[in-house]
Amino acid sequence: MWVTLLIVHGLLAFLLLGAISHQVVSAWAPSHARRGNILARFSAVPGAGYVNAVIALYIVNASFGGLIYTLYRISARLTLEQGRFWKTFGAFELKEHLVAVGLGLLPAYWYFWRSPAAEDHPRTRLMLTTLLAFIVWWGFIVGHLANNIRGLAT
Amino acid sequence: MSAPSRFGVFAVTFAAAYAVLYVLAVDQNWALFTYHPATNTFAPLTGKAPAGPSMYWYGWMTTAALGAGVLAALVSLLPAGLTRRIWSGVAWAVPLCVIVVFAFLLKGYFLR
Repeated sequence: MWVTLLIVHGLLAFLLLGAISHQVVSAWAPSHARRGNILARFSAVPGAGYVNAVIALYIVNASFGGLIYTLYRISARLTLEQGRFWKTFGAFELKEHLVAVGLGLLPAYWYFWRSPAAEDHPRTRLMLTTLLAFIVWWGFIVGHLANNIRGLAT
Repeated sequence: MSAPSRFGVFAVTFAAAYAVLYVLAVDQNWALFTYHPATNTFAPLTGKAPAGPSMYWYGWMTTAALGAGVLAALVSLLPAGLTRRIWSGVAWAVPLCVIVVFAFLLKGYFLR
């Protein structure tokens, strides 16, 4: 069951990574190009359309992570400690806190993308999206690093 | 903020207060409950595990969410003349500072 949960967690993280990456690039470099190079097409997306998907994926993914974290705490974490993988260990500790901080950003993130009253705050919207994207990327990379050390079903 | 809605005031205040309360909860171990994964049991506050490790993370988040929720709700009830002065940037600037604090607290793992 844990391996299945971990794989689903990874797949959901991949979806979240795609959504938030499209959105953050479109926020930093808005492009209306329907043709052109791949970067122009990558950023030519309506960022607001990703908000609900990003929030839902973030909450579901954090919930899966929170569930798997119980097994990590009593098994994989010991492997990291005994193997003295301190940088990965510290990066995973930081991931835990970043994900928690990210959950607190979600109401503001929704408000500054979707509320008409917030349209005159593009910088706040940009920075919230960037912060959330950083958290998602950090979680994705560090999760994979920790998993690569421990391996699946070992 | 110019003409923020009550939810806007709530969301901005919540983002900042939650981040601050979370880092305080971690530093002071203000967990509302503790989970013991080895025995699959919960204990109120920071109860000691009968066996295996104790997990406070869920309790820290709950403490921060409840505290920030109450604070943000109160601030959102203030008159619009007051809440208009709240800089919307605190929604990202405070959490960013908290992330830097966590990186500082955990720097020992990266400098070994």
